[in-house]
Amino acid sequence: MEKTDKSEITYEYTKRRKCFGRQTLFTDHGPELNVNIPPNSAMYKNYILRNPVNVSIQNTGTMSEHWVNSVRAEYTSSGVNHVEGGWPKDINTNDPEAAQRYRRKIEKDDAYIHAVMHLGHSMEHNILQNNAVDMYQIYYSELSSIPPVERSSCHTVNVYREPGSARRPIRSLSWQADGARLASAHADVNFMRCARSLQFSYIWDIENANAPELVITPPQPLLDLQYNPRDQHILVGGLMNGQVGCWDMRKGSETIALCPPHVAHRDLARNVLFINSKTCAEFFSASPDGVVKWWDIRNMNEPTDSMIIDAVRTNNDTQCVENALGISALEYEPTIPTRFMVGTETGLVIGGNRKGKTPLEKLPSKYEAHLGPVYALQRNPTFLKNFLTVGDWTARVWSEDCRESSILWTYPHRTKLTDGAWNPIRFSLLLVTQWDGCLSCWDLLRRRSAPIVTAQLCDEPLLRLRPHEGGLLVACGSSKGTIYLAELSQNLGTADKNDKQLLTHILERENKRERILEARMRELRLKMRQERDGAAHAPDDAARRDADLRDAAADYCLAVAELQARQHALPA
Amino acid sequence: MAQDEDEEDLSFNVEEVQNIVRDNIEFCLGGNTYSHSRVPQWITVITEKTLTRLNKLNKPFKYIMRITVTQKNGSGLHTAAAYFWDIATDGTCTVRWENKYMYCIINIWALSLQM
Repeated sequence: MEKTDKSEITYEYTKRRKCFGRQTLFTDHGPELNVNIPPNSAMYKNYILRNPVNVSIQNTGTMSEHWVNSVRAEYTSSGVNHVEGGWPKDINTNDPEAAQRYRRKIEKDDAYIHAVMHLGHSMEHNILQNNAVDMYQIYYSELSSIPPVERSSCHTVNVYREPGSARRPIRSLSWQADGARLASAHADVNFMRCARSLQFSYIWDIENANAPELVITPPQPLLDLQYNPRDQHILVGGLMNGQVGCWDMRKGSETIALCPPHVAHRDLARNVLFINSKTCAEFFSASPDGVVKWWDIRNMNEPTDSMIIDAVRTNNDTQCVENALGISALEYEPTIPTRFMVGTETGLVIGGNRKGKTPLEKLPSKYEAHLGPVYALQRNPTFLKNFLTVGDWTARVWSEDCRESSILWTYPHRTKLTDGAWNPIRFSLLLVTQWDGCLSCWDLLRRRSAPIVTAQLCDEPLLRLRPHEGGLLVACGSSKGTIYLAELSQNLGTADKNDKQLLTHILERENKRERILEARMRELRLKMRQERDGAAHAPDDAARRDADLRDAAADYCLAVAELQARQHALPA
Repeated sequence: MAQDEDEEDLSFNVEEVQNIVRDNIEFCLGGNTYSHSRVPQWITVITEKTLTRLNKLNKPFKYIMRITVTQKNGSGLHTAAAYFWDIATDGTCTVRWENKYMYCIINIWALSLQM
């Protein structure tokens, strides 16, 4: 770049033409030294050899880069609304007359008819195709969906702990009539424990688990506390010294009435239950001393009635308290007013009739239920002829007609079963609490060999159980004084429309089975007795037995024939 | 005298040229260290300036100028020249200049234009 920037250096001269081409007079001028610089090795020290030297060499042709892009075409998608078109420009389509005129003109055209015929042909094909197959139909919509696989579950929703440091076992639970409150009775029955402090019982509002709504202060620990099913503020309770008392929630935690000790039970009053009466103020109580007493709240000075539970053989023997059987469970169904049932400490379930005159009439039925005390006794709310008993290690369902044995029973558990109840809404569901802290639900319609749900609610033994009248909640009380409110899954809390029929079938079938077995057993016993005695008994007995057996056999053959007929009918 | 003056004018005045060249070198290279990248620049500047000044002398000569710039690193340098020319009219001038870092040798040959 600097070279081209040179300024012009010119020297102008003139020379005569005749002086051109004059002879030159050149001579040699010997070589003369121009520059003589000797090497100076001392200077070497100022320099070091550069090693390595990076030199980049590329021996390629030079190329340049340039990019070109063609002009892009913009695309958009849009729909087109086709309206009648093809109108020529000079006609205003909004003007009906002009349009009409134009239309008539076109229609007279020859080509018009040919065009319409041609188009109609292809249109017809499309229309027929459309009519044959509905492209927009949703398939399989008319098929009903399969009912989903039933999953049952049970989990705790709330825990109510006894306030204070005391941990007294729960003796009873009772729901208020409309289901918003729960009454729990706590009592430590172990007499050897020296603490003679007052043991309280509580009323809980189920929404608030932090503290009980009301503390009931009985003079003695309460063993049973029940709400009045008609009047939701009244409660009655049985005390440990045999007295029974009455409380009113509105009045506070003290009793409003307490029966005097001399008319009370001789042992602890273990169960109290309200009975159906016009005044809805009557209840009865039972205790291990073997006596059942009826009381009226308004006058607690003495019981209105009492009955000794002594199962005597004949009408002539009187019932006496010495032979009475201690009672551990009490049952009453409001729809059957005069009858009740007691479960005894020896494992018997005795049906009672309040209106009976003779001892036999008073205690008409007796069932040998369990090997130990009967802990729970409840009729099925829908099938009144069947009742549930819980004792020793099994839970059994009985039918009133079968005296010999229960019609349905669970397998013997490894742990003691402490309480059981029917679910009020789903009447085929049995709820049972176990000594290892499990709540198990048995559904008679689903499986009778095992419970359908077992939930481990806590580590300590669960002692009491009471289902909520809504059917989904269950309150379980443990031996440490804690109440667990468990919720069952929807399928356990509701009943299907077929359930009643199905359960009726099941119960009837089992009933029949038991009766047949009973008849057979009777027959066998009779035969054995005959052999032993050697005397001929009245043949009418034998005839009666035979008749029963013949009936049963006939029934069986009929059932088999029916089944076979149905099977044959199917393929045909 | 006039002839002498004419002859003075027409002959090659070594000292005068030496002075010109020395001035130019001083101006350009001065106290610079040797820098390989700047040397071409310097050479260009020296050449231009010197030739312009020589031209201004207005003498009927063709000038040839050669510049050599060498880094001072201990190496030796020898240059010699021989001529076959008209001794009377043509002349040569060599200027040797050095500073701490480099040598600069400038040769000027002036060849007369036959008048």
